Amino acid sequence: MNIGSNLRIGPFEVFDPVREVAERPRLNGGQTFPGKLFVVEGIDGSGKSTQLSLLHKWLASKGYGVVFSTWNSSPLVKDTTKLGKKKKMLTPATFSLIHATDFADRIERSILPLLKAGAVVLCDRYIYTAFARDVARGMDSQWVRELYGFAVKPTVAFYFRVPLETAIGRLVTARDGFKFYEAGLDLGLSDDATESFRLFQGRILQEYERMIPEFGLTVIDATLPVEVQQAQVRQIAQTHLDRANELRVRP
Amino acid sequence: MRKTYGKTLPGTKLTDSGKLIVVEGTDGAGRTTQINLLKGWLEERGHAVLDTGMTRSPLAGEGIRRAKEGNNLGRVTQSLFYATDFVDRLENEIVPALRAGFVVLTDRYVYSLMARAIVRGMDPVWIRSIYSMALVPDAVIYLRIGVDELIPRVIFSRGFDYWESGMDVFPGQDMYENFRSYQTALLAEFERLSVEFHFETVDGSADVKTVFTELQKKILRIVESDSRKDYFSKASEELAESLRLKLEKSWAARLSELRSDDLQIFPQTEQVSPNGNGHRLA
Repeated sequence: MNIGSNLRIGPFEVFDPVREVAERPRLNGGQTFPGKLFVVEGIDGSGKSTQLSLLHKWLASKGYGVVFSTWNSSPLVKDTTKLGKKKKMLTPATFSLIHATDFADRIERSILPLLKAGAVVLCDRYIYTAFARDVARGMDSQWVRELYGFAVKPTVAFYFRVPLETAIGRLVTARDGFKFYEAGLDLGLSDDATESFRLFQGRILQEYERMIPEFGLTVIDATLPVEVQQAQVRQIAQTHLDRANELRVRP
Repeated sequence: MRKTYGKTLPGTKLTDSGKLIVVEGTDGAGRTTQINLLKGWLEERGHAVLDTGMTRSPLAGEGIRRAKEGNNLGRVTQSLFYATDFVDRLENEIVPALRAGFVVLTDRYVYSLMARAIVRGMDPVWIRSIYSMALVPDAVIYLRIGVDELIPRVIFSRGFDYWESGMDVFPGQDMYENFRSYQTALLAEFERLSVEFHFETVDGSADVKTVFTELQKKILRIVESDSRKDYFSKASEELAESLRLKLEKSWAARLSELRSDDLQIFPQTEQVSPNGNGHRLA
């Protein structure tokens, strides 16, 4: 699946041990599925989850078969991730790999079969989250992009763009304190969790900005009222669903 | 300076005085037996040894074991779970041990992981790019053994295993047939990798003692080239170098005292050439 300009890989291919390595197909781009994949991206506090759940309500009410898939939720992998986070065992590299493993399990066992079946799949965070976080942690950006070469290209990737201070303002009132990795405390940017969070999210924001043209992310101004944003999201989603109307499931 | 296969992980220092020795081979090739023998032998010779192997990481080892029990571990997920396990051991065990001057013996390395992934249909370019951050070892010893020699070993040890028989790769329920097909595919992949990554191949079907002697020879060359011989040869080289510098200096000093025009370094003598007995020719 072609997820980036210079990526050409996707390990989903028919197993064939007889053929030579050089003959095996490397391209899985152009593979289309009857289902639709909408993903939301943005820094913490951008309001993306709120928008996604509103989109979910709307799609469900219109009779589509909608399924949620959230970041870091694979039943096979999440215990390992939890262990690593709790014991602070994760380095930038293992942080990256364990999240890729989690994502792989969800792709293989949930997202891909659902898309083949014609469902509308909604992902709260997708590969762009990994690209932003891992690169902000010092991983090589090309390496991380290759790592996720097996991902399915989303129908639309919404990016909820919000200034750092607005996001932090929303989060500080909403919760008491940040978690170790969430605040990027593993990077030693600052001993103060809030300050570290600010610096780390700033880096992530920079990475997102870089990815808008690279992956053609659909930018939504996340400082607008919730209703206005949602109207935009629905309008964009609608155009893609119109084309796949025959897949609609009547309730 | 140690090399990687292309990328370096953040925070990894590539200067070390250790030796990284990889023992590769399919299941039943005798890797573990040999590593245990080698470890004791090297320690007897005074080397600090770290041995490590697949799924032994504190981070992902247990997770992989649990995931494999369910038989619902996908191929991409499996490849990446193993990569997580590998990198955890690379960063927390292998690199620190090498920097402390240890001999690191590893029971399989990225090559097994690549072979297993490729046999499972993963893109060879994709899997290589993931392991581009691996350290280049000082030696890769490949215990090569054919499927026919492998089968009795498997039967008389623990029998056929679901994953080692490639039950997730091949259709049908015939474990014996699948074992043969899976191991044959793996061996073919190892042959390809052995050229690309310069394996030193050892006949794994020979008896334990013969293989061990062969490995000892190979490893001695790597491990003890540095610590003793190299130390002394380096020391004597340094001594020679310092003497040479001293001589050069003193010559330079003496030469600068003398002006070239009032000095005949090589006074003109009669042109005579000695004969074979050292006598001057008439």
